[in-house]
Amino acid sequence: MTRASRCLAVAAALGALACGDIGAPVRSDLYEWRLEAPAVPGPGTDTLSFHWTQEDLPVRVWVEDAFGLPDHMARAIDVWSGTFLYGEFDATLVSDSTTADVVVRGGTPEGKLRRLRLHSALRPECAGVTDLDIDVASHELRLPIRVFVDPRSLPDDPGIEPCLALTSIHELGHALGIFNHSDDPDDIMYLDPEVDLPSNRDITTAEAAYHTQSNLQAVRP
Amino acid sequence: MLKPILIPALVLAAGAGPLHAQTDYYARAGAMWASNLVRDVLVTEVTVQQSVAPMVALGVGMPISPGYRAGLEATFASGGFSSEQDGAEADLGTLRTASLLLGLDGPVVQNLRWRVGLGGLFYLPSEDRGIFLEGGPIRFVAGAGADWRYPVMSKWDLMLSARYDFHRFTTDELEQRGFSQAQSVNRVSLSVGLARGIR
Repeated sequence: MTRASRCLAVAAALGALACGDIGAPVRSDLYEWRLEAPAVPGPGTDTLSFHWTQEDLPVRVWVEDAFGLPDHMARAIDVWSGTFLYGEFDATLVSDSTTADVVVRGGTPEGKLRRLRLHSALRPECAGVTDLDIDVASHELRLPIRVFVDPRSLPDDPGIEPCLALTSIHELGHALGIFNHSDDPDDIMYLDPEVDLPSNRDITTAEAAYHTQSNLQAVRP
Repeated sequence: MLKPILIPALVLAAGAGPLHAQTDYYARAGAMWASNLVRDVLVTEVTVQQSVAPMVALGVGMPISPGYRAGLEATFASGGFSSEQDGAEADLGTLRTASLLLGLDGPVVQNLRWRVGLGGLFYLPSEDRGIFLEGGPIRFVAGAGADWRYPVMSKWDLMLSARYDFHRFTTDELEQRGFSQAQSVNRVSLSVGLARGIR
């Protein structure tokens, strides 16, 4: 090999090194996060998807000061915002419920049934509900999203704190746009999950939700 | 983590007295551009890029043979970084970088000198989140450039510099998420400053 060809080979190798891209993972293991609702007007079903936009961030979350929910919801926000690589989701706790995008209360829902209610029976010690006020005809999601976390056992029950923590993460998962339940107990978005944190499938699903066109628009009152 | 900076700095400081007369110093300020940090595909392409960032550089050099010098150059840049997908940008906060390169420089023509260097590059994000959830990495960096000097006072030169450096970028968080290999990152800077020392 001549000196010139050696130099060319080195230059080509350096050029290739200088242009190489990182290898992105294949994200195919996910579950259906979108909501199927009867189409209005007309027959059939409408697939509804939602994610908060960059202009909405940080999502404002008001939490009732009961059962340690503010701490659990603050952790849930950290958990979910930490699952995203590119700043897709963030939320903050606010003190004024009238300006909140998500309202979290302890106990069970009262009053009229919202247009859509996602129930989660998480563990024997507690349960969660997320109410979504969706107008299928106009494709509007009327804010605030209302979350209820219901401790069903006494405060000294050793299982109550882990249950409230897990329920907060699960219900915030609904509030950030995962409107369905997973079919795998190893996912935090399963109806009755066996894990305490989002799984890789949950993360992949959340990423898919935030990188797919949303057809619901959040509308503030 | 600071060992790669502190040890050479202490060695230089210890030898500063006897070598003072032969030592060349400079300080510059300018701007730095960097290529994409990450190129991902989530339905469509997502990229993460740093903004053009203000930078400062400090350096010392000592002669090792007629016309040639060896030295250390530290560069610090601070700017924003963001992700972009389908034309929509998301601000990801502030990203600082600090590099330390052990270099060699020599003459090209009268006031123009070439420079090459090898060293370390430290990523210092303002928050441990997103691609930096597990912290900022330290990467091996190789660089090259040119300096042009114009005497403005008896011992001071105006210094104009162009630099290019290259490294392979990844983070612990990206590796945990299944990203393979690393992203090639090219950085270019232009700066102006003052140099004092041997001519």
